[in-house]
Amino acid sequence: MQRLLAFIENNLHLILFVVLQIVCGFLVFSLNAFQQAAFTHSANSVTASVNKTVTNITDYLDLRQQNKELQYQLATQFNQSSSGSLLYLKDTFTIKDSTRRPLFSMVPAQVIYNTVNRADNVFIINKGSLDGIKKNMGVISSQGLAGIVLKTSSKYSTVMSLLNTNMKIIPSINGKEYFTELIWDNESPYFMKLQGVNKLEKIIEGDLITTGHSSLLFPKGVPIGTVSKLSSKPNSQYFQTRIKTATDFRSLEYVYVIVNQQKEALEAMLPANE
Amino acid sequence: MSRVFYWILILALQFFVFNHLELSSYLMPQLFILLLITLPLHLSKTVQIIIAFSLGLVADFFVATPGIHASACLWLVLIRFGLLTRIDLKEQESNRLAFNAKTAGVTTFMYVSLILVVFYHFYILVLENLGAFNGAHVFFTTLLSSLFTLLLIGFIQYVSFNRLGE
Repeated sequence: MQRLLAFIENNLHLILFVVLQIVCGFLVFSLNAFQQAAFTHSANSVTASVNKTVTNITDYLDLRQQNKELQYQLATQFNQSSSGSLLYLKDTFTIKDSTRRPLFSMVPAQVIYNTVNRADNVFIINKGSLDGIKKNMGVISSQGLAGIVLKTSSKYSTVMSLLNTNMKIIPSINGKEYFTELIWDNESPYFMKLQGVNKLEKIIEGDLITTGHSSLLFPKGVPIGTVSKLSSKPNSQYFQTRIKTATDFRSLEYVYVIVNQQKEALEAMLPANE
Repeated sequence: MSRVFYWILILALQFFVFNHLELSSYLMPQLFILLLITLPLHLSKTVQIIIAFSLGLVADFFVATPGIHASACLWLVLIRFGLLTRIDLKEQESNRLAFNAKTAGVTTFMYVSLILVVFYHFYILVLENLGAFNGAHVFFTTLLSSLFTLLLIGFIQYVSFNRLGE
């Protein structure tokens, strides 16, 4: 017994090491992306406010570039509003259908934390459930698609970035929808991969990839990226397509959360398994 | 008191500056591990393990990686135990000194730091990229981030030396 106690005393640090590594293993491997989001920023006001302070400082230093992007974005929206489909309302934008029913509204938000180095990247925005943000809402930047809301707290939301291996988007190329998935393969924060497009399809480098009709999270026509490289193996009937993302995730600052105002009504019309 | 200031300074640099560095997607320096590398030599191994786990967990909260930094910090102090037993530091230990370039010598300190820094970056990158492992990305990010972190560590040690030497 004494020898056992002496052994424990001499190796207490090793026993503690093993126990704590088991705790870490549980945290690393048992939490999925959704639970990880809950573990971190959106649920933690201290770390979120530290990151928010840093973002405020870096924002100030980056004002010139951001102003340019806002100018460009406002100009684009002004052009589109002449068709009567997009109205500027206080700080939210509303897109209406042909019968003038509101379809999508957009809540502006600021990115306070963002990663691009991991396989499963997320970013945190400064709007939460108090601002009407809910899980599974689409998020876009002034350049294009940015992600999908994973989790919200009262003031913050964690968003699954397009640069996340769990992200799967059905793309539309030159206005034609392809029921194959656009994925991020953890190669570069600027590029994604699209497989399963038949070589017979008329696609060339530079073609625009946008969102299509098949999603309730995004309006049709939000830019996702452009085809930057088309290649294929000799014995394959499919293209291997490299897509340059429209959004520059390394300088992501301002985003819009898309609220589908008819989502419940539209979901009720879908078959039960969709 | 100066040690408290040193901890606050390094942690502030990590959480306010280096976590938000957007120079390159291959650059994610983890300067805060300098705090573990330079832990005082007289601290018991159990206390060092607890400090490492706590510090790692705090780092995890800031970068949304539950358990990864905590696990890496635990391994880091364990490897540090192994490396420091090969070096004669009894005098420094009895004088309750920290392990740094001044107490252990520049070559010894940078040799230990090199191993720990490279290991740390490699370990967290492998865990963070488990879902879609990309060898080239892990290799280049480890290389660049480790090099940058070692340069920062060298600079901080140099500045501390000169200040202490006056």
